[in-house]
Parts: sequence; C-alpha cells; structure tokens
Amino acid sequence: MPDEPRIDEQTQAPSVRRRRRHSRSPSTASRRVSSLRRSQRRLSGEEHPTAVAPDDTSPAPQSTSRIKEAADLARGTRARLAASLRHPGRGQIVAAIILFVVGAAGVMQVRISATDDTYASARREDLIQLLDGLGAESRRLEGEITQLEQTRSNLQSGADTQRVARSEAERHLIELSILAGTAPAEGSGIRMRIADPNGAVDAGVLLDAVEEMRDAGAEVIEVNNTIRVVGSTWFGSDDRGLVIDGKPVSRPIILEVIGEPHSLEEAARFRGGIVSEITGPKIGGQVQIEQENRVVIESLHASRENQYARPAPPQQTPR
Amino acid sequence: MIPLLGLLAGIVVGIVLEPSIPQVLQPYLPIAIVAAMDALFGAFRAYLEGTFTDRVFVVSFISNVLIAAAIVFVGDQIGVGSQLATAVVVVLGIRIFTNAAAIRRALFHA
Repeated sequence: MPDEPRIDEQTQAPSVRRRRRHSRSPSTASRRVSSLRRSQRRLSGEEHPTAVAPDDTSPAPQSTSRIKEAADLARGTRARLAASLRHPGRGQIVAAIILFVVGAAGVMQVRISATDDTYASARREDLIQLLDGLGAESRRLEGEITQLEQTRSNLQSGADTQRVARSEAERHLIELSILAGTAPAEGSGIRMRIADPNGAVDAGVLLDAVEEMRDAGAEVIEVNNTIRVVGSTWFGSDDRGLVIDGKPVSRPIILEVIGEPHSLEEAARFRGGIVSEITGPKIGGQVQIEQENRVVIESLHASRENQYARPAPPQQTPR
Repeated sequence: MIPLLGLLAGIVVGIVLEPSIPQVLQPYLPIAIVAAMDALFGAFRAYLEGTFTDRVFVVSFISNVLIAAAIVFVGDQIGVGSQLATAVVVVLGIRIFTNAAAIRRALFHA
C-alpha cells in the first residue's frame, strides 16, 4: 500500500519529486497530506486530478477548498439523483432487471426457509447423522415392541389358561357339591310315597330302595323332604324307630329322586323289586310313584370336616 | 425509480407465481443472494459517486454471485462447506457495511 501513493505522485506531480531531492523532511510531510487528500477524494467518489491543489499550499486555503468540495459534491449527488429520476437511462433498466431477479430469488429463499427451516438448510453430513440416529432409535423401539408383544401374549395365554381352569373348577365344584349334598338341586325325577301302616319298613328295606334308585341312575335322593341321602348316609333303627343319619323318619316315607324318571320308576316296579317287596304280605304297605318334570330338593347335608384324611398331592406324571 | 419498480415486481412475482429452483442449487441460493446484495450496494455507491456503468454492474453482479456459489460448492466438495459459507457471508457482510457507509457519506455527508 505505501507504494501506491508514491507512484501516483510521481506520475501526477513531477515537481514534488524535484523538491524532495532538495529538502527531505518538508517534502515527506506534504506528500502524506496530499495522499491523504487524494484518498479522501477517492472515498467520496470525486476524482478530479486537475483540481488537486499544489502540495505546498498553506493550511488555510486547503481547508476552505475541502469544505467547498464537499458542498459541491453533495449538490452534485443530489442533482444527479433528481436528474436520473426524471430521465431514466439504460443503466436503470439493467438495474431494474437485476433487482427483479434478486427480489424473486429472495422471496423464493424466504419461502424455502420458512416452509422447512429444519432440514432444507442442513448439510449432508448432519442429515446422515440425523438419519442414523433415527434408524437406531426406531430399531430400539421395534425391539421393545416385539418384547412387549411377547409379554402380552404370554400374559394373555396365562390368563386364558387360568380362566379355563377356573371355570372347570367351578363346574367340578357344582357337581361335587350336588354329589356331597351341600347344594340344593332340581331336575326331572320321581316322587315315591311309601305308606307303611304296620311300621314294618325297616332300615334294610329303605337301604334296598335307595340302592335300587342309585342303580337306576339316581343323582340326588331325599327322604321326607328333610334328609339328603349322600355317600356317607347311614340307615339304622333305635327306640324312636327308623333313623337316617341320626334323624327319625316319620311315616309315610316320601322319597324324592332326581334322575331319568322312566328308568327310576321301572327300577322300582320290576318283579321282585322294591315295590313288590313293600306291597308283599310281609310288610303290607303301599307304594305310589309319580313322575315329575321338576323335583326340587332343598335339604342339605351338613358335611363334617375330615379329621384324618388330607388331600394328597397329585402324582407326578412320568415323562 | 425503475430499479425499485423492478424489485417490487420481482417480489410480487416471487410471491404470486411461487417459482422453485432445482434441489441441487438450493444450498447456494442464500449465498448468491448475499453476493447479489453486495453487488447492489456497490452499484448504488458507484452511482452516487458518478462512476456507475451498467456493463460493470452486470458483470460484477454475475461474477459475484457465481464466485460466491462456486466457493461454497467447492467447500461442500472438500468437506468445509459450512465454514466456507460462513466465511463468504462474513466477507460480503463487511463489504456491504463498507458500501453502506460510503453511500451514507455520499448522501448525507455524515
């Protein structure tokens, strides 16, 4: 940079060069001043080599000329602006075309960055990194989904198994409680009325009757609407007369039996069966049998807690 | 006056017609716009200083835009695209400020 002003000076003001040879120090100072002024003029845009004041002028006229120059400049600039507004030239049309392009491009860019400001301006490496991150994340989440689905199916099948086992157990419970006499029961069956005017029906005869009924498929048996006959029921007699499970049996004896009515009646009436035994001369009683569509048995057997027997663990099935 | 009308027409066309540039050129559009702004400010400064030439303006505009885009393109190819884009924006920003200061001086002498 320090070379440039000297070249200018040498080409434009040969007198300065001459003077510098004679006296060193004043010429360097004036050179600096002149280069400063030239650069100022260049900055302000008006380069008039002919108007350059001589280097050895005194400071006072220098400053007045600078002020005048500035005023001229301002007037010139504004005047040129006004003139160009009145008389547009070719340059303005070119500038208009280029500004048109710039305006369109600027709007385009603003729209692009407004619509997708996150990824449109991202560089390729950033996008690849982003994509990698998303891929890893989605793989992780897919693994999690698989695991959770497996857990869900496990739980579901477990719940299904449990539900089936529970309903099975409930069905067993109902069957067994009917069998054990701890639940009321109803169904088709027969009602057998044994009239025993001589009091000759003893425990043996009654047990025979019950056995006959059981053979014919009786599921629930009740005596006199009060005594439920179950597996542990015993028949006997004491001073009160006939007793079943420790309860006295009053005459006439009524047996209510749930089962297939026809086969029950047939089992009672066959020759040499319970009916012919009771109506025979030895006992001299009468038997009435009615088939019923609906026999309701509501008396229950009070089951005792087992004192010695405990449920055994199920046998391991050999594989 | 005519350049301002041209700018307004460009903005209106950009908004109404919604033109789109190819995907390949999209990363270089912002840099090109900054370079164009630099050329415009320089042109206005030259105009105020009385040294405006439309030929110089057109050539400088096109070359500025192309060189700025090319610098960023080369930077993308060698892996320093974002840094070079920043560098271009900084340099052009400095030039825009310098031009704006000159324009201010020429217009207001302040």
